[in-house]
Amino acid sequence: MGNPEAETPDLPAAQLTGPTARETQSVLLLGSVFIIATCGLIYELIAGTLASYLLGDSVTQFSTIIGAYLFSMGVGSWFSRYLSQPLLKWFIRLEILVGLVGGFSAPLLFVLFEYVTSFRLILYALVGLTGILVGLEIPLLMRILENRFEFKDLVSRVFTFDYIGALLASLIFPLVLVPQLGLMRTSLLFGALNVVVAAVALYRFQETRPYRRGFAGLMALSLLALGGTFAYAGRIQRYTETLAFQDQVIYSKSTLYQRIVLTKNQRELRLFLNGNLQFSSQDEYRYHEALVHPAMQALPQARRVLVLGGGDGLAVRELLKYPQLQQIRLVDLDPGMTELFRSNALLTRLNQRAFFSPKVQVINGDAYQWVRQDTTRYDCLIVDFPDPGNYSIGKLYSAAFYQELHRLLKPGGRIVVQSTSPYVARQSFWCIVHTLRAAGFHTIPYHCYVPSFGEWGYVMAGQNAHWRPNAGPLPRGLRYVTPTTIRQMLDFPPDMAEIPTEINQLNNQALVRYFEEDWGPYAQ
Amino acid sequence: MRSKELNSHSLSRRAFLARTGAGVAGALLGPGVLLESCGPAGSRLEHIKGGLRGANHRVGHLVRHPEQLPPPSRELQTGVLIIGGGVAGLTARRELARHGRSDVLLLELENHPGGNAASGRNTVSAYPWGAHYLPIPDVRNRELLDFLRESGVITGYDKVSGLPVYNEYHLCHDPEERLLINGHWQAGLVPETGVPAAERTQIARFFRLVEELKQARGTDGREAFTIPLDQSSRDEQFRQLDQLSFADYLTREGFTSSHLRWYLDYGCRDDYGATLEQVSAWAGLHYFAARKGRAHNAGSSDVLTWPEGNGFLVEQLRRQASSPILTETVACRLHETPTGVEVLAYDAARQQTIRIQARQVVLAVPQFVAHQLLTEVAGVVQPSQPLHHAPWLIANLTVTQLPQGPGQPLCWDNVGYGGASVGYVNASHQSLSLSADGSKVMTLYWPLCHEVPAAARRQAYQKTYAEWLPQIMAEMERLHPGLTPYVQRVEAWVWGHGMVAPTPGYLWGPDRTQLARPLRQRLFFAHTDYSGMSIFEEAFYQGIRAAREVLGQAAV
Ligand SMILES: Cc1cc2nc3c(=O)[nH]c(=O)nc-3n(C[C@H](O)[C@H](O)[C@H](O)COP(=O)(O)OP(=O)(O)OC[C@H]3O[C@@H](n4cnc5c(N)ncnc54)[C@H](O)[C@@H]3O)c2cc1C
Repeated sequence: MGNPEAETPDLPAAQLTGPTARETQSVLLLGSVFIIATCGLIYELIAGTLASYLLGDSVTQFSTIIGAYLFSMGVGSWFSRYLSQPLLKWFIRLEILVGLVGGFSAPLLFVLFEYVTSFRLILYALVGLTGILVGLEIPLLMRILENRFEFKDLVSRVFTFDYIGALLASLIFPLVLVPQLGLMRTSLLFGALNVVVAAVALYRFQETRPYRRGFAGLMALSLLALGGTFAYAGRIQRYTETLAFQDQVIYSKSTLYQRIVLTKNQRELRLFLNGNLQFSSQDEYRYHEALVHPAMQALPQARRVLVLGGGDGLAVRELLKYPQLQQIRLVDLDPGMTELFRSNALLTRLNQRAFFSPKVQVINGDAYQWVRQDTTRYDCLIVDFPDPGNYSIGKLYSAAFYQELHRLLKPGGRIVVQSTSPYVARQSFWCIVHTLRAAGFHTIPYHCYVPSFGEWGYVMAGQNAHWRPNAGPLPRGLRYVTPTTIRQMLDFPPDMAEIPTEINQLNNQALVRYFEEDWGPYAQ
Repeated sequence: MRSKELNSHSLSRRAFLARTGAGVAGALLGPGVLLESCGPAGSRLEHIKGGLRGANHRVGHLVRHPEQLPPPSRELQTGVLIIGGGVAGLTARRELARHGRSDVLLLELENHPGGNAASGRNTVSAYPWGAHYLPIPDVRNRELLDFLRESGVITGYDKVSGLPVYNEYHLCHDPEERLLINGHWQAGLVPETGVPAAERTQIARFFRLVEELKQARGTDGREAFTIPLDQSSRDEQFRQLDQLSFADYLTREGFTSSHLRWYLDYGCRDDYGATLEQVSAWAGLHYFAARKGRAHNAGSSDVLTWPEGNGFLVEQLRRQASSPILTETVACRLHETPTGVEVLAYDAARQQTIRIQARQVVLAVPQFVAHQLLTEVAGVVQPSQPLHHAPWLIANLTVTQLPQGPGQPLCWDNVGYGGASVGYVNASHQSLSLSADGSKVMTLYWPLCHEVPAAARRQAYQKTYAEWLPQIMAEMERLHPGLTPYVQRVEAWVWGHGMVAPTPGYLWGPDRTQLARPLRQRLFFAHTDYSGMSIFEEAFYQGIRAAREVLGQAAV
């Protein structure tokens, strides 16, 4: 700029720019290689990470994404031959395009994930498009640079910068970018870098003069869009719930009844319903083994089981370890929930495809309604509802509800009710015990330690007291429940010991009030 | 377009009136006939559908002009004829059946029995059109307890305490009541949020007084305030409270707190359709001090309720007897004959007049209707002044969502401090479904007691749906700002003679007992008008009293 010779725009650049200018231009172009390479790899990493976050099954996802990306780059490289002079103009165009497509890839995928049915199609289309565009870049640059270097130097320099860029990307992506910025901001930032490369080229090369104005406007707009989205990334992320959780959100969906969010980090998957942790893949086995086995081991003759709630299929997974069971019926309100646990690869691995077992019948309906009209008799009832945090759910812990369960239970059968934390919510826990007693049951309260929940409580109930912790064999391969742990679970130290409470009735909803009192201090 | 829709309805209505000849029977559009319309075109309410219904006032004409009836084309004979299928009439029918009387016939002018306890239903929920709850009754009210036991409302009696165990599904679920005051929904209806300490002291004093009065007994050994009220003490120290208005009494006793007076006025409007100034002090105190119900699994302030309101109890009453009921049949005139009573009635469905010969007749209709029917009968007592019947407006709103304000979540009964209505009841409250969080039906209760009843009634009858709707929505918007877009339907119902009010002197003056006295063992009277308080327990009591009089037994 400011070069008087630049006033004759028709002449080829090489003839008009002086040797020093040519050198700086070459450096600039090689610098571009570096940036372009970093950006290219970042987009690839983003797509791979996003795919395994959102679709699960990370090894396959990651390698197919990378495969598709590399292949598209090949396609792009091949197409580069069809681009003819002026190459610099093509390059600038390309950079803006890469910046926009790559930059918006993460926000787009996050937002679209909730709305489109064929998400994979969109994901691969976007990966393909980014790949093709990125694939065009290096060949194009090499052609621009071909007159400035000898071929051997050109190849060695371009590839050196390309690989250094790749190394940098692969290091900063997991160490700095994802933890500091998150996927969405990272992708936007690198999109902006691509546009900046285009801007530098535009202003450093005189031959761009005739089209500078138009491109400058386009770049300003692109940068504005990327920057604006960057500024609002927090909001968008919150919208897709990424920020509300400690870990990366890999799935979130509002169904008719609740907001389901699945998060993931290196170690574990976590499921949240309306922001409340339901399980962590790390230790859910403790929760579910304790929910199912103390009752089931004492029912060697059991044939039929009813599971109320528990749309994650994890209790069903435990039940399927008893070959004597002929039918497991699960009633969960939310088809969104049972469908997710039937279709998501990460989750079906967790519940061991429980919902595909021919013994399992899944019913999406209101538990209360179901129980009132059901005429089947069951050997065991697993009651795994969300905690009694509001008046609607509180009704599912009422004496009236337990009386309905009484009717559904075969003589000698057992009910297990997940009963919140006897440590944090001592009143609530004992209120559930007393309510079951008021409904005419013998109760056996117990608890276990689930690291991600803390001390957790259950109440086993039956028409009689004939239950023993070592009544029958436990399935093989359990990781937590043994006859010894069952015995330990029955012991309540003084800080969780029984206290008097009211009985939870529909007309007093005592439990919801206890629950508010108990958990209230923890909510702040 | 909207107005055209409306016109076509009014046209068909006119055509209908013309078709029915003298235009007499035209007054008898069954309540099923709803003039469907919409909110005013171009307004914010345009999307709201619904219509206006009404009951009693349609009959007036027929009952006043029986000479316009077509000549009788059917004859019927019965032992006992019950006119009116409200709670009192249905209870009399059930009581007679329990005593083995099968020669009973009941006439009801609407197309279903129930009277003020009528109910409706749409795809979202059943809902009440009037009476909607019954407080936990006094355990000494054996007849009522037996009825509730037979209806499955009481499931049994506790072995230890002997107290009734109520079906939890019928007990009003928690949370029961909330009040919107100072922009905040507080739990319970007695104002607390932002109420100055001095007023709180007065409020506490009032409730101490209520506790004392609950226990109080007169010199005759009877309790001061009971339900049914006829069993209350005759002691003058209490009865003289019927001579002054509740407002005057409160002033005399130093209850000046505006929040307390609002609450008590709300109570009077809610239960009697009349204000503090209009009801007697005895009645005002009775509202609080007569609630002495006990139960194994509920307290005296608990209530029984159903999505369809007391429509549930009406259906139980109906089922517990098998004698025939003629609906859409209005009694128009009574004559005494040597062997009994002859009744001219009009069957609106078949458009024919029926002549019914009965040995005895129970008039289970409001006092003013009974008086019309008996125009040609000798010895009928006139009240020294007309009974006070306030008109009511009921609106059932179907909403897809309810924008919530701060504080207590949605309850069964939801009231706004200082409002003209007495709030709304959530008909979906007793639902056990978790998915019931979406669409709801809310029943808004509005006693039209801003003017003397006759004037308020005239105005209410003249108002069109298009005029009611903005008024209803303004009241609802006050409780839930931003509600309008979520409202799908608003159906309104005007009760011309909603309920009798216990004005000073009526309860314990001479009128009430004289009006209810049977005539020549042929004509009997059963209606809450003869209690002076319109509540289910009184209607039930009146029905049993009349049935026992028919049977020649001593009263309850
Ligand atoms: C808006 C409203 C809300 C209420 N809420 C409550 C409540 O929550 N709880 C409560 O306990 N009480 C409530 N009540 C009081 C209610 O009125 C009584 O509980 C009870 O239903 C009254 O019954 P009844 O038999 O005395 O009178 P009505 O219900 O007046 O019965 C009279 C019947 O006679 C029929 N009839 C009239 N004339 C004729 C004729 N000529 N021929 C044939 N039939 C005729 C009528 O159609 C009607 O069915 C409410 C009343 C109203 C208006």
